[in-house]
Amino acid sequence: MSAVIETSRLGKRYRRTWALADCTLSIPAGHVVGLVGPNGAGKTTLLNLAVGLLAPTAGEIEVLGGRPAASQVQLARVGFLAQDSPVYPGLSVADHLKLGARLNPSWDAELARGRVDRLDLRPTQKAGTLSGGQRAQLALTLAVAKRPELLILDEPVASLDPLARREFLQDLMEAVAEQELSVVLSSHLVADLERVCDYLIVLVGSQVRVAGPVEELLATHYLLTGPCRDPGTLPAGQQVISASHTDVQTTVLVRTDGEILDPAWTVAEIGLEDLVLAYLSQATRRRRRDNHQHLEVQR
Amino acid sequence: MIWLTWRQLRIQAVTAAAALAAFAILLAVTGPHLASLFTTSGITGCHGGACGTAAGRFLGRLAATSPYSLIYELGIGLILAAPALIGIFCGAPLIAREFETRTFSLAWTQSVTRSRWLLAKLALTGLAALAVTEALSLLYDWWAEPIARAIGYGGNQVWQLPAVFSQQRLSFVIFATHGITPLGYAAFGFALGTATGAVIRHAVPAIAVTLAIFAAVQVATPLLIRPHLIPPDHMVVSGPSFFVNAGLSVGTLEASIVPGQPGAWILSSEAINAAGQPVGMIPTSCLQPAVGKGASPDAGACMARRGIRESITYQPASRYWPFQWIETAIFLALALALAGFCFWLLGHRPRYSGEAGPALPRLGDVGLHRPAGRR
Repeated sequence: MSAVIETSRLGKRYRRTWALADCTLSIPAGHVVGLVGPNGAGKTTLLNLAVGLLAPTAGEIEVLGGRPAASQVQLARVGFLAQDSPVYPGLSVADHLKLGARLNPSWDAELARGRVDRLDLRPTQKAGTLSGGQRAQLALTLAVAKRPELLILDEPVASLDPLARREFLQDLMEAVAEQELSVVLSSHLVADLERVCDYLIVLVGSQVRVAGPVEELLATHYLLTGPCRDPGTLPAGQQVISASHTDVQTTVLVRTDGEILDPAWTVAEIGLEDLVLAYLSQATRRRRRDNHQHLEVQR
Repeated sequence: MIWLTWRQLRIQAVTAAAALAAFAILLAVTGPHLASLFTTSGITGCHGGACGTAAGRFLGRLAATSPYSLIYELGIGLILAAPALIGIFCGAPLIAREFETRTFSLAWTQSVTRSRWLLAKLALTGLAALAVTEALSLLYDWWAEPIARAIGYGGNQVWQLPAVFSQQRLSFVIFATHGITPLGYAAFGFALGTATGAVIRHAVPAIAVTLAIFAAVQVATPLLIRPHLIPPDHMVVSGPSFFVNAGLSVGTLEASIVPGQPGAWILSSEAINAAGQPVGMIPTSCLQPAVGKGASPDAGACMARRGIRESITYQPASRYWPFQWIETAIFLALALALAGFCFWLLGHRPRYSGEAGPALPRLGDVGLHRPAGRR
């Protein structure tokens, strides 16, 4: 399986703050990949590095085997939709299509016109007067009609209302199905990703916490509930992601390729959202523990 | 790219074209009459001192009766302002606006590399700006030719004229508004605006900074730079005739013309005595008998007798075109350097700004990690 984005110890620093540091990951081709993480995890920075809008401060990044934005060919292979889908407020919808046609040799005019018709965008309307949802659709049209191999979307639906959000994602899925694109899509809302993604990467503090096909992730994570016990006593093949205790019972999220054989546990499957949240809170906990140790050392 | 550049520049281009057209009409309507005033003033075919008198009469008529001095000043103002206007309306928003509306992420992810995008933008907009400025400057040169010739005949020495008409073509404002220098200034203004916008990334502050820098350059150039582009000539004039006839201002003893060098640009002048020391005023003893009436022929002779001479540092009028070329070349070079800076800023920044440094902090730790034991 080839990678659409591959990074090695990638870092980007703004003055003294590292927006992304020491990030090593590999995003496989042929998927709709959800990149999820808390605000400040470095998602936007990573995606901007991938389309060459930023240059890395450290490390390497390869997109479709090439250096981002290095050449016209490389640019043509990657479509990008930035956060809040910026468009030129003074240009009309038709102007935007013309822009796309003039600046992209592989432009699919029929596809673009078809989309604009279907989405009920009036060609003469100025992009500045479009609603947030329409603007996102127009920007997506530009990104899709250049016929990229890889489509990168940074928080495409963050600013949209629930209805526009659903329409946008549906529309995106249709485009993906028609064109057989690889897609990388970032969001901090798991619910959005659940609808469209078949591959998930959880990024916290520039580090990949978990990555894999959604189905596989769901099939290998179990929520175990049973009488109080130390999670450390679980069998070796079961990796504890999170554990919580009340007076009478213990709840553990484990990752395992095997089956849960211990009859003491009540086994439940877990939804994607809870799974992601478990990994996110695991990261927070680990950080707190690190800080705590740091404190101990200082004493 | 050509289409997009044009589409984004349309409003400025149409406005500039309309302003240029309005000015052209004004000049076309008034130009022929101005030329006929010149031909009937008796300058053509004049001899010797009559030329200066006729030219002075012509300029005096323009100043007194017609809108011509106003149009003359308007033209100077427009040509001086054009590069600044180009800088703030075409240059400053060129990159800054893309950052402001965040559309750079749209523009720079199409199948056009960033350097090509910038090249098209800079070249097309820059050439359009130069074309407008040159058209303005050519039109104005054509219209103001009679005035320039009258001044060349020394008409500005004879009559009490408005300030603009007394300016030589090498002087302060006239030099920068004629010939080819407007081109250099236009290119510089445009590149300055673009570079400022690329650094500041907000159009309005970029406009303010561009204006401030450009105004400073426009004032500093004639004061500090232009006089030294070619080493100035030096002349010491003695004898009564200079003090008497040569338009020496009373009291300050500064020269207003250089003998034998019509149209020369005087950088500095002072009277010096036999010992070479500066003389600030006409010696009181030389003012007799016409006390308080200024320099009389007697005073000139008296000063000459006392060995007082006038020392003048100046640039001859014949250096007008060398000066034009040098100054234009300097500003074109500055414009190119600023354009190069824009390319570097947008696309060719060093990929790695530091070699392997200390261990990288994790982003998640930044901000959450407070120094222990401090509350």
